[in-house]
Amino acid sequence: MKTLEEIFCRQPETLNEALTLLSDEATRGVLLSGGTDLVVQWQAGAVPMPEQVIDLSAVPELKEISAQDGCLRIGACVTHAAIRNHALTREALPALVAACASIGARQIQSRGTLGGNVANASPAGDASPALLVADARVVTASLAGERCIPMNEFLLDYRKIDRHPDELILRFELTPCPQGGIERFCKIGTRGAQAISKVMGACRVVMHGKDIQHMALALGSVAATAIRLPETEKLLAGKTLCEELVDEAEACVLREVHPIADIRSTAEYRRWVSGRIVRGFLESL
Amino acid sequence: MTQQSDGSFRIIGRSLTRSDAEDKVRGKAQYLDDLTMPGVWYADVVRAPVPCGKLLGLHFDESFDWTQVVTVKPEDIPGENIVDMTGLDMPFLAYDRIQYQGEPLALIAAPSKALAREAVNHVRAEVEELPAIQSIQEMVERHKTGLADSLRLLEKKEIRRGDAEGVLAGAGKVLEGEYWTGFQEQLYIEPQGMAAEPMESGGVYIRGSIQCPYYVAPELMKVLNLPLEKIRVEQTVTGGAFGGKEEFPTLPGGYCALLALKAGRPVKMVYDRHEDILFTTKRHPSWTRYRTALAEDGRIAAMEVDMILDGGAYTTISPVVLYRGILHAALGYRCENVTVRGFVYASNSFPCGAFRGFGAPQAYWGLESHVEDLAEQAGLGPDEFRLKNCLQEGDITPTGQHLLTSVGTPAVLKEALRRSDFHAKLARCDQGRPGAKSWYGIGVSFFAHGAGFTGDGEAKFGSRAAMELGRLSDGRPGLTLYASSTEMGQGAKTVLAQMAAEGAGLPFDRVFYPLPDTRVVPDSGPTVASRTTMVVGNILYHAGHKMKCLLEEAAAKHCFGGASVRLEGGRFFAEGVEARPFEEVAEVLLAQGEPLRTEHQFALPPHIRWDQERFVGDAYPAYSWACNVAEVEVDPLTLQIHLRKITAVYDVGRIINPTLAIGQLQGGLVQTIGYALMETMQVRKGLYDANRLQTYIIPTALDVPEMDLQFLEYSCDELAPGAKGLGEITMNGLAPAIGNAVRRATGCRLCAIPMRPEDLYATLYQGAKD
Repeated sequence: MKTLEEIFCRQPETLNEALTLLSDEATRGVLLSGGTDLVVQWQAGAVPMPEQVIDLSAVPELKEISAQDGCLRIGACVTHAAIRNHALTREALPALVAACASIGARQIQSRGTLGGNVANASPAGDASPALLVADARVVTASLAGERCIPMNEFLLDYRKIDRHPDELILRFELTPCPQGGIERFCKIGTRGAQAISKVMGACRVVMHGKDIQHMALALGSVAATAIRLPETEKLLAGKTLCEELVDEAEACVLREVHPIADIRSTAEYRRWVSGRIVRGFLESL
Repeated sequence: MTQQSDGSFRIIGRSLTRSDAEDKVRGKAQYLDDLTMPGVWYADVVRAPVPCGKLLGLHFDESFDWTQVVTVKPEDIPGENIVDMTGLDMPFLAYDRIQYQGEPLALIAAPSKALAREAVNHVRAEVEELPAIQSIQEMVERHKTGLADSLRLLEKKEIRRGDAEGVLAGAGKVLEGEYWTGFQEQLYIEPQGMAAEPMESGGVYIRGSIQCPYYVAPELMKVLNLPLEKIRVEQTVTGGAFGGKEEFPTLPGGYCALLALKAGRPVKMVYDRHEDILFTTKRHPSWTRYRTALAEDGRIAAMEVDMILDGGAYTTISPVVLYRGILHAALGYRCENVTVRGFVYASNSFPCGAFRGFGAPQAYWGLESHVEDLAEQAGLGPDEFRLKNCLQEGDITPTGQHLLTSVGTPAVLKEALRRSDFHAKLARCDQGRPGAKSWYGIGVSFFAHGAGFTGDGEAKFGSRAAMELGRLSDGRPGLTLYASSTEMGQGAKTVLAQMAAEGAGLPFDRVFYPLPDTRVVPDSGPTVASRTTMVVGNILYHAGHKMKCLLEEAAAKHCFGGASVRLEGGRFFAEGVEARPFEEVAEVLLAQGEPLRTEHQFALPPHIRWDQERFVGDAYPAYSWACNVAEVEVDPLTLQIHLRKITAVYDVGRIINPTLAIGQLQGGLVQTIGYALMETMQVRKGLYDANRLQTYIIPTALDVPEMDLQFLEYSCDELAPGAKGLGEITMNGLAPAIGNAVRRATGCRLCAIPMRPEDLYATLYQGAKD
């Protein structure tokens, strides 16, 4: 039986050093960022303790938030607390800021990172719906170069992401919420803090008066990965917001999601409340 | 927050700082796992792989080097293979029938935890699996349909006053309700841990995180084949218990003792959280059914209650939990015709055990939910109905007990209703109003808790405690107290010392309450049943008074030339001479070399009478009374229940330490928020499904609402200095108060706790509970 102390841990200080370690099977290890999910899983025996770990927390390139070419770049090892507090994210990504503020509690937010939340690939990862509505691209890197993958393609399946063994997640590139756009985030948890979501959702809307010009909707914890709701988005886009449309959208969500029951909630409630979350978003516009 | 204390006390009624606070805050307190034990080995347990079955054989893998470890199999047990609790049905190690998954089959000790676990993994149990009972729903179904004989009955008991059946049969309308509660885990911060080592003199020295040193020793006599005096039990600093360390520690204590005796070295076992949740006791799941007839004038004509508890695999202490359950199931309102029937059936899960409230929270979830319907039927508000019918001084309980002294009702009810502005707010409840942005609801509950052992149990038990003049750790003279009551985080160490100091006329800091060790302390009883402050405090108060007399006598003789001396507030006073401080006089007395020791044995007021056979008479020496008001907002969009405010008014007799009393109340109420709204676990495939802190959800600081807490001190003067029970009544009534508030908010009655949005959804929109 292995203990945490027995894991061999390397801490590269440059991106190149990290990628070099990843390029060789002998030095390749499990990627560790904040450790808030991984260490708990190891301790619980949910996943076996690895032989070696590459701790990414000292790589400066992974910890930057910047605006470039009209998009917002967030490094994989940027903490939830940093996203919550940074002027750029607060301005351009209110749903993501709200999502990060709902993860765990202050201690978890100070250690946990965006890259870790996505790489952990839990359907209950709170950041994913907000990333989906911001049309996020995941940029991965290896010694061979970078790849840019749309977020919805990057999330392959339950606990599966499109990362090659020699790659790490470099950053996320997000489209800022346009001027006049509105973002919402909603989390149904089991308690006020330190809660894993039963269901959570995010939306990005651009309205012109009562007309919906743009509608992006995403939910988490209702499928194997966080998902966009294309049918409901299509139903709403270009329409004039009214009570009947809200009813139709809620009904459409119920057709579009097929959640399962687990220890946190029932399938029936999850499905119903998915519709209610979307209703809540629309009624708040 | 409390009323003014009686001015005649110097130390009682003051919020003195806990005497264990500094050590705990500084991290200096030594819990079991902090203690250095040279040569210690670690215990692990080979557990049954199925919830119910026949054990055909245990196979020890020959590829493993068994000489590195010590094993105890049933045939290695020196005495009888039995845990000596209320029932004698539980073996220490299962050898034939398996009654729950995880039941111990063999014990292993090894120099490291990892090796012990590796050894466990090299043992394979060959079993024939049999059908298991794994839910209370299944139990109740069989009970109702006449198939109770197919269940193992662990205990049944009945309370009967008047002729409830007759009145109900002739009543025009009978109101019925069925109510359910689930498992609850105590979730003390420090997990279970015990250690044992062989003594040079023969026998075994057991230490650990425990509530009741004098439970562990006698319960292990049979299995260890040792006389009581050869089993020494000492409490180590205990980080929370809530009943979870009442009877349970006998099991790991026994595992360690058996292994230590065989290995000839110390052995310890400290559970990790996962193991602790999976393989320790839980609160008993319950079902109650109420059938009630009202008289024309809105009084209760007859009430019939059936209560079923899921006892888990073996009897352990379930009968006592059932007694407390049925004694509280109809306790609250005047009624001349009452029948309460109680049953504990066995299931194939870990034996259920003690948990703060001990059957009473289950009972009041039923009664106080049901009373809400009675009020409506009577055409009265929930407040009016309770005020009209609640037990008051001079009234008679279902067991025929006359409530004569220290009866804080209807005062607690009136005060809580007034403070919360209940009646005005009742009119604002939304009842599931369409179009509302938020559904507001307010709910009330009224309840009691019998303090101390049931009936004349305290008189029969004859708890004793003692104190002696000596030197404290600072080298200065002081009193050391000797009792088996335990500090487990609740503040007993402080409160008991306050009462002893008050009785002795000494300053608080000259009295020390050590961790109990059965080699030294008399048996003041287990630290359970909301009895410690009332009963053991009373003993130490009297022993303190005896000490005061003794000190005055000795001081008169040795320091005041025979003059009459009075000890007060740490100073000796005599006519005509200057007062002398306690420490100066005590130095002289200590130099004399005569031991100064006093002892006292508990005596109940003589009028307390109890017939255990018929369950008639004075069920408890005293009752605490309380009223909880809960205010909730339910989000119509998501059906999430937000608890916004708790108003709680308690009569728990005289308050010894206001800050600690409020702390008990806050802690108990928060623990009940979890019970009422979050904490859920079920047995799935033999084991609890919520088995980690990740899945077993308890409240966080963000889930705790505004609290308005008030004590009304109806001192229990028959038991000086007048405290009644506090620890448990904090958990009795909040769940139904929240349930009643949710009903007024949504128009929907939930009959089971926890009340989750999923349950509201199922009841409101799916028409039935899944």
